[in-house]
This record gives sequence, structure tokens and C-alpha cells, in this order.
Amino acid sequence: MSLSPVHFIAVPLLAAFLIPIIGRFSKEFVKIVPGIVFLYLSYVAISLFPVALNKPVVEVIAGWKPPFGISLYYGPLAAFLTSLITLMGFVIWVYSYKFIIREPIEKYYMLFMLLITGSTGIILTGDLFNMFVFLEITAIAAYSLTAFLRDRDGAEAAFKYLLIGSFASAFFLLAVMLIYSQVGTLNFADIADKMNTVSYGTKILILIFFLVGLGIEAEVFPLNGWAPDAYSQAPSPIGAVFGGIVVKASIYALMRIIFLFFNFNEVFHFLLIIGIITMLIAEMSAMKQHQIKRMLAFSSIGQMGLVIIAFSVGTTDSVQAGLFQMFNHAVIKAMLFFAAGYLVFHSGSKNISALDGLGRDKPVTSFFFAIGALAIMGLPPFSGFWSKLYILLSVADAGLIAAVVLVLTASVIEAVYYLRVVSRLYFNKETASHSEVRRTPVSGLVAMGVLAVVIIVVGLYPDYLWHMLKPAAEELINKAAYIGNGLLK
Amino acid sequence: MVYYISAILLILIGMYAVLTKKNIIKIVIGLSIIDSGINLLLIAIGYVKDATAPIFSDSSLKASGMVDPVPQALVLTAIVIGLGVTSVALALVIRLYDHHKTLNIDKIRKLKW
Repeated sequence: MSLSPVHFIAVPLLAAFLIPIIGRFSKEFVKIVPGIVFLYLSYVAISLFPVALNKPVVEVIAGWKPPFGISLYYGPLAAFLTSLITLMGFVIWVYSYKFIIREPIEKYYMLFMLLITGSTGIILTGDLFNMFVFLEITAIAAYSLTAFLRDRDGAEAAFKYLLIGSFASAFFLLAVMLIYSQVGTLNFADIADKMNTVSYGTKILILIFFLVGLGIEAEVFPLNGWAPDAYSQAPSPIGAVFGGIVVKASIYALMRIIFLFFNFNEVFHFLLIIGIITMLIAEMSAMKQHQIKRMLAFSSIGQMGLVIIAFSVGTTDSVQAGLFQMFNHAVIKAMLFFAAGYLVFHSGSKNISALDGLGRDKPVTSFFFAIGALAIMGLPPFSGFWSKLYILLSVADAGLIAAVVLVLTASVIEAVYYLRVVSRLYFNKETASHSEVRRTPVSGLVAMGVLAVVIIVVGLYPDYLWHMLKPAAEELINKAAYIGNGLLK
Repeated sequence: MVYYISAILLILIGMYAVLTKKNIIKIVIGLSIIDSGINLLLIAIGYVKDATAPIFSDSSLKASGMVDPVPQALVLTAIVIGLGVTSVALALVIRLYDHHKTLNIDKIRKLKW
């Protein structure tokens, strides 16, 4: 069986459909199936990576060559992002192994596999309508997982997410429709080739529809009202999936479409302003929060604003820095959600005030949270330092000093609210009463430990990852190469 | 032309329902109307004047005398996706009703900014 990028989509999808059947026979085996899937996917990712760096793999599905059929475009960028998703998926599975104890367990893993399928599909596809289908798969799995814990707030958060997400898909479909009516094709490379025949006014209209449609999923301001509720009401590993996988796929989709179809300067300026506003408002809102997971959700939105700033500057260096920040944010935010999950579980309340003094009761979990907080603030020797530094350097190189100042302001605000939590963990007396001291299960500690090791290793030796990201950044910017490869010239 | 206008009207009616109605079921129906409007718009875009359905039901039919089949394929997929989303929405409505015992969205809005 030869390896191909289709396996990234096909294997989790197959697993998602097999899990309910396996669940009838053995509940224990259901918990192991995602692990097997991720081990296989990491094998595929590692073996296809050097191939993708050499020349992008364009996988034609069902024999209909582009521009008529659907094709998967597996270049360095897709290779990097799918490797990230595989790593995050594996770690989240390890964490969920002992965290999800309430029934129905097999539905959780089935929806988790569907989320992975959808996100990987968004990243791999080279066809516009195929991207819509995968966006919907991701969205439906996300709505269901938000409401997984059968409490009142979960259903409300999921319903809000569903309403806003349906608007997102409606706008995206309208944009797809407009493009088809103007250009007559749905293949990314073909549309990019023919986009200059579309009139300027129509292009702006299509751009607006895409921005609204994808911006809702990518949590840009002002379309991110659903995110804090969804992140805080979903189970903690699912919060990590949202912040680490789904939003990355949506930002990739937005950036791919903008770099391929709409790469003129006004768009980038607009994106820069949107990114700055997103970051500032999210960080300021995070400071006002009383619940830890809502705070982490707003912080996640702010970090995505930073990534958008990095992408919108448009140079190879800034795109490379943006990709690096995406990687770091996924790893760090997942670790923060993991630690917060067990801290909330132990203290019994979602409020930050209930976390007082837990540094003594749960030293290891609090230690991981502290590492995550320091890393996301950008302190050396953690990985967050390098990505923020590279972003600031590349933004300053482009002459946008005002943006640099605003990013640094937002970083200061970030430092305030993260250090607030860390100091409460370690330096406050215990105010909440705990029923009994429950030890964090080994699976949670292993998951957090793996992520912490990644953070520290990348923080000490960033060059290896940094150089791997250069071809990915170049691929995103290089429109002509994408068209040439995508149309199988 | 009239198809475009009616499709856009449907979308606007659906949006009006989602944005202003207080009953959750009416909001879900509004979502469904938006989906119908978008699907109708998509099919209308693929229309070729005086052409017939893109099926070779008679061997004398030529491809140039047919409407564009691609939007029809897209709409088939979109209808099924709309079905999935509506069913998830209704399941959530049932759960919300179980918890709050009311279908009024103002009373359910607890999670604030």
C-alpha cells in the first residue's frame, strides 16, 4: 500500500465510522483506536515530509485531473500543518484517555476523529467546494463536542456556536457561488490563474464574503463572540482541540485564499488593522475574566490576532514567523488547557478565585501551567520567546513601528493576567475547600510532559524548526508555483 | 432573473427570522430558510436559457443543450449538510428545553460577555 496524503483524511474518517461498531463489542478497545490512528498518521507524516519538501505532492482523487476534479495539494505548508495536527491529536488523545470518564465515551472519540478529519481536509484540499464540505464536517463535530457535557451552559454555548457557525458557512457558500459564476471553476490553482479576469467590485464583494465566512471560524474581531463560550463549556481537551487545531485550519484557509486570490496591498493593510484590533480587544477582555477557561479562550483569540498581523505583513520572514507562532501557540495553549482542566476538576469551580493556593496541593499540574503561562508571554528560554521575537523583527523590518508598539502593549497586558493566575496558584492561601486531594492521572501528566518538553526543546534550539518553516512560508507566498504545480503542468 | 430575486428574498427573510425572533424553534426554521435560499441561488446561477436537465435520458440530447451540472452537484451536497446542521440544532433545542423549560431565547441567555 503506497503512502499518499489521502490517508490523512481517509484513516481518521474510517476510524470515526468504525468506533461505534467497535463500541458494541468492547468499550476499552474504543479508547485505544485513536491512538493507533495517530501512530499510523505520524508514520505517514514523517515519511511524506521529505517528499513534500522536494516537490509538492498533488494527489488526484478518482482519476479526474485538475481543473475538473478534486485534488489534494500536499506541499511543505500542508506537511507542516498536518504534522502539527497529528502531534496535537496524539497528545490530546493521551490526555483524554483518563479525563473523559463520563458516558458516552465512544461518541466522544468518534466526534474527535471527525474533527481531525475535517481539519486535515481543510488543510490538504485544493478545491474550493471540498473545503466547504470539510469546514462543515469540522463545524458539526465542534458543535456536538461543545455540548458534550450535559449541563445547561454547554447546550447554550453550543447553540450560540451553531447559529454563528451557520452564518459562517452561508457566507462561505455565497462566496464560492460568486467565484463559480465569475470564473467557472472551483480548483484553487485554476481560480488563481483566472482571478484577474474578475472585475474589481466583484472581487471586493467575494473577499468580504470570504472574510466573514472564514473569519467567524478563525475568530477575528468582531466575529468571535462564540469562542469564549464554546472554549469554556466544552471539555478541556476539546478546548485544546479548538484552540490548537480547528482555529489553525481556519486561519490557514483564510490565508491561503487571500494569498492566492486577493494578494493586493489594500487587503493586507486591512488584515493588519483587523489583526491589531483583534489582539488588543481580546487581551483587554481576557484581563476582565473571572473564569480561567474563558480567560484562556480570549488569550487564544489574541494570539490569533498576532498571527494575522504576522501573515498580513506579507514578507517571507513574517509569514515564517507567523507559522512558528501558530506552532508554538498550539502546543502552549493545549498545555494550558490541560493544566486548567485538572485544576478546575480538583477545585470544583471554574473561577480563578478557586485556584488559590493550589500550587501546594497539585504541584506538578501547577508547574506545567506556570511553564505554559511564561511561554505564552514570551519569556526565554521557552519557545514563545522566539516566535514573538521573529514576528516583531519582521514587522519592524517592514517599517510598521506602530504595530510593534501595539503588539508589545498587548504583551504587557497578557503578562498581567497570566502572572495574576500564577501568583494566585503559588502565593495565596487556600480559600476554597477541597473534598479530597485527587492525584492527576498519569495520562494527563504524560500529555502535559510531552508538550512541556517540546516547548523547552524548541525554546533552546529554535533553528531546526525555523529552517523547516522557510519552504512552507515560501509556498504560501509563491502564487505562480502553486498554479503551476496545482494544474499539473 | 426572478429566481435570483426570490432566492435573495428567501435569504433575507431567513436572516430576519434568525435575528429578531424570540422563539428558538423559529430561529432554527430561519436557519433552514437561509439554507434553502442559498441553494436556490446556486441552482439559479447554473441556469442556461431554454436548456434541459443534465441527464442523458435521450440519446439525441447534446451537452450544450443542458444546464450546468456542477451547481446541481454542489447543491445536493449543501442540502445534506443543511440537514445535518438542522438536526444538530434541533437536538440542542431539546436539551435546552429540558434544562430551562422555556423556548424563549431571552430567558436562556445566561452566558454573558
